[in-house]
Amino acid sequence: MWLVVIFCMIIGLIIGFQLPIFIPLVYAKYMSVAILAMLDSVFGGIRAYMENVFDTTVFVSGFITNALLAGGLAYLGDRLGVELYLAAVVAFGVRLFQNLAIIRRYFLKKSY
Amino acid sequence: MKFKGAQVSMAIVCLVLGIVLALQFRSNESSPRSLSSDRWTEITVQMENLRRERDFLAEEVLELREKLEEAAASQEGNAVKALREELAKANMAAGLVAVRGKGVIVTLNDSPHVLQPGEDPNLYLIHDEDLLKVVNELWAAGAEAISINGHRLITNSEIDCAGNTILVNVNKIAPPFVIHAIGDPQVLESSLRIKGGWIETLQMWGIQVQIQPSDLVEVPAYKGPIKFQYAEPIKSGAGNA
Repeated sequence: MWLVVIFCMIIGLIIGFQLPIFIPLVYAKYMSVAILAMLDSVFGGIRAYMENVFDTTVFVSGFITNALLAGGLAYLGDRLGVELYLAAVVAFGVRLFQNLAIIRRYFLKKSY
Repeated sequence: MKFKGAQVSMAIVCLVLGIVLALQFRSNESSPRSLSSDRWTEITVQMENLRRERDFLAEEVLELREKLEEAAASQEGNAVKALREELAKANMAAGLVAVRGKGVIVTLNDSPHVLQPGEDPNLYLIHDEDLLKVVNELWAAGAEAISINGHRLITNSEIDCAGNTILVNVNKIAPPFVIHAIGDPQVLESSLRIKGGWIETLQMWGIQVQIQPSDLVEVPAYKGPIKFQYAEPIKSGAGNA
């Protein structure tokens, strides 16, 4: 499982660096929040895998909708003048750390 | 391999994440760090302050030059008087004195033409070359003093293009461009309106040109600094002309 994750991330990074696509600076903030949501989804998926409750549909749908929701919330916040993206940052950040903690515990358990 | 779908979906998702991460890194790198919005406002504020200071100093230069005149006037004596007359003439020739007389007022404005798709907007705007040609024509027709939008043209005044504005004496000016020129009104006007001349070409593109002869044209004094860093007078035996 780990190999898949790391390997594909590296390949994705390489492809991304080569691609001539540029994200316009205006959208940079929304993309950052969306990336945070995506990272949280990935770690959530890894954790679900370790707990053997992984569901592909939940995983993929969560990935897409969370990313869109985060970006949309940031955009809405910009229009309303309220820094709504903070909500996404905090929420996904907290979940990220929680998932990481659980994954870490599983690893430590396995290596006993 | 438990959860077959897991590996594949995880792989695809990680791929997408990697790509998006890389794109985001690249976009962030390319934006010049120094232009964060804080720095931007800081630079703008600094520029505004400098501009205000420059304008204030220019006014002070005018006042000081006048005071110098008065101070020199308070000490009369024949030799001094002759010198002062020489000085007055020289100042007038140098553009340091506000002058008035008969002349023309030329007003140039960008064309109000509505752009059709595919047309080059540059054809309908006034450029620095256009102003240069008009001013040159005026000098050639015997103008004795010229100012553009209140900035007196002296021997080393430039009319320079800076992005989409024009700089005269390092001051930004914008249309409408009002040129005051002192000279024979009829000669000035007819030389501008000559067939095949630049005004005719400008008007073809819809640039609005108004030439108004006047009996009382005022041209302000030159407000900027006069410094000679590289030029030195050549000391000839005879006096100046």
